[in-house]
Amino acid sequence: MKTRPALRRSRLIPLAAILAATAIIATGCGRSSDGAAPQAAGSIDDSKASGKVTLWAPDGDATALDKVLAPFESDNPDVDVEVTLVPSDDYNTKLQTAIASGTAPDVAFLYTEAQTQFLASNAFAPVPDGVADSSSFFKGSWAAGEVDGTAYSVPWYAYTRLLIYRDDFAQNAGATAPTTWDETIPFFKKLQEGGAESGYGADVGWDTYNGQNLAIFGYQAGESLLSADGKSWALDTPGMVKAAEFNASFFSSGVSSPDTPQFLDAQPYLVSGKTGSMISGPWVIATLDTTAAEPGWTAAHIKTAVLPAGPDGSVGQLAGGSWGVTAKSKNSDAAWKTIKFMAEKDTQVAQYKAAGSLPAVVDAWSDSSIADQPLLAPFLEQMKNVKPMPAASTWNEVSTMLGKELEQVARGKETAAEAMANAQKQADSIGTGSD
Amino acid sequence: MAFALQAKTGAPLTRRRPPHTGIAWLFLAPFAVIFVVFTAIPIISSLAISLTDMKSADLQTPFGVDFSGLENYVSLLSDPNFVRAILNTLIFVVVGVPVTMVIGFALALVLNNGIRRFRSVFRGLFYAPVVTNIVSVALIWQYAFNQNGTVNEVLANLGFAGPNWLGDENLAMPVVLLLGIWRNFGTAMLLFLAGLQSVPEDVKEAAALDGAGPWRRLWSITIPLIMPTTLLVSVLLSVFFLQVFDEPYLLTNGGPLGSTESMALFTYHQFGFGNFGISSAASFILLIIVAAVSALQFRLLRSRS
Repeated sequence: MKTRPALRRSRLIPLAAILAATAIIATGCGRSSDGAAPQAAGSIDDSKASGKVTLWAPDGDATALDKVLAPFESDNPDVDVEVTLVPSDDYNTKLQTAIASGTAPDVAFLYTEAQTQFLASNAFAPVPDGVADSSSFFKGSWAAGEVDGTAYSVPWYAYTRLLIYRDDFAQNAGATAPTTWDETIPFFKKLQEGGAESGYGADVGWDTYNGQNLAIFGYQAGESLLSADGKSWALDTPGMVKAAEFNASFFSSGVSSPDTPQFLDAQPYLVSGKTGSMISGPWVIATLDTTAAEPGWTAAHIKTAVLPAGPDGSVGQLAGGSWGVTAKSKNSDAAWKTIKFMAEKDTQVAQYKAAGSLPAVVDAWSDSSIADQPLLAPFLEQMKNVKPMPAASTWNEVSTMLGKELEQVARGKETAAEAMANAQKQADSIGTGSD
Repeated sequence: MAFALQAKTGAPLTRRRPPHTGIAWLFLAPFAVIFVVFTAIPIISSLAISLTDMKSADLQTPFGVDFSGLENYVSLLSDPNFVRAILNTLIFVVVGVPVTMVIGFALALVLNNGIRRFRSVFRGLFYAPVVTNIVSVALIWQYAFNQNGTVNEVLANLGFAGPNWLGDENLAMPVVLLLGIWRNFGTAMLLFLAGLQSVPEDVKEAAALDGAGPWRRLWSITIPLIMPTTLLVSVLLSVFFLQVFDEPYLLTNGGPLGSTESMALFTYHQFGFGNFGISSAASFILLIIVAAVSALQFRLLRSRS
């Protein structure tokens, strides 16, 4: 019997620890809005950069960054830019963790379309005067780095998604690229007449991506997905239902199948003719020759076109990469000078040649290495008319949810209107993260 | 448990500290430190987080979040996606555990009684799925069960049109389950084999002399005698299938339409969205279910043995 108190005590210890930890959280509660106050933007001069600059970027476009930055380092012998490549899937999570734990680099890559959550937390310093001329970039790319009129990031590369189609099939059927929603399904049907098994390749299960596509169709129908004050979602509006119906019409008209293609199949299917078109980015053009195992295949078979216009025009999706300097950087002067170098026209062209990144600086597109490529011209045209994804820190969750609803519609389990009503309900409980 | 044991044996209790306590603690320290730092503290803080509305934006000021009581738990249990994940997880357990056990037991029986010459070779082969890398295996399965994959090619040669296995709401789950079973039957087999080898030969011989045929001996002698092994295997497999993550994550990422999303995968997705509060609450619900199922099974184990 004497063991009982001892036993009780040993059981109480973890319980007490749990209660204590809960109490710490509970008493420390109440979200304070006084976090770190935004810093004032300074300016940088023309003196040489010096010291060590740590830089993080996801692999991919930054793979050749050491080579691209070599002229900067030889011009500024005292500077040492240390590039760290992070696997792109983990990039945002790693950066977020590093910022929270105070181990963030001086310069950090930011996905142009998904930087809101970082910029809103005051983790980044405002862009000082003298780094870059805001008017030299695509308007949308620059604007995506602004919070309440202050710029926090500088665009590096830019891209958007276009209609990429098999021109040989189109010519077989005597069709030209659609310019409006109404012409779209007939065009995809023509591609089928010309030889494609499915006119349009849609991956029904890639939720986030389909949610993004729906946002673009929504923009084309004149919607913004957010309420006027940006604090709540507006997904069950007539324009959004129209956008969802447009998306569903690919499946109901038979130009797309919910079965094909799954994500790894997208390019092989286009090459083999299982699909006649896709909506995707410039990397497709760069890699189709490899997929077809035939140099020159892309130039002979593929064309690109600006997205077909909806009731409110042909808005495309803004995407790309930007650079920011973390608010706690110890060498922000050299960090901003590194970014200044990357935003120069010549560096932008060098970056294109090294890694295929399409320039964010409009002037760089006139360089012959880019201007002479007919497949890229529609990208330039579309880039002048793009919008970023909704500026809400919960967008990733909402777009995934939207993709799931679209999947229900594509599989014939819901109508577009029901899906958007469901989406609205779920989005209301998810919120926009701005409350 | 300590109390129960002592009460049963009635061992006298000494008030004196046993000698060498200091040294014992010293030997225990490496484990204790690792346990506290990597297990106890994370579990306790995740319980604390599950009672708040913590989101990714709060990472810089983790103590500035609002205490929300059981709100996360309530909203989870009313979220159809989470309820679906619970049901999916139950399917994994209710189908996966018995099927894996039957296959494992059958192979162990064959290896123990039938095959003698190449026993170690077969044992190694059947155990191979346990030690192979799940990521590469899942990639191969993904290709195999693709609409134009190996499985459908074989079916086409036999004259059947194969379905889109991983893209079909009703077929994706069986394929994911199959991968889980394939990956685990080796463990079950090995444990059963050890159990079978511990069944005393003389008991079986005695039964044979009394006229019991092979089926009768299996049913009345072998199966009751290896009951502890059976329960151990069922606990291990239940815990595995309750926490199943790799298989659905790698093959379908929970799709199509959430038909293969397990509780662990749901938790992971919520974490990715930055909903740390919800995600911690979901993992705690899973922890409670795992603890309850294990406790139940251990109770059975103790009463039988």
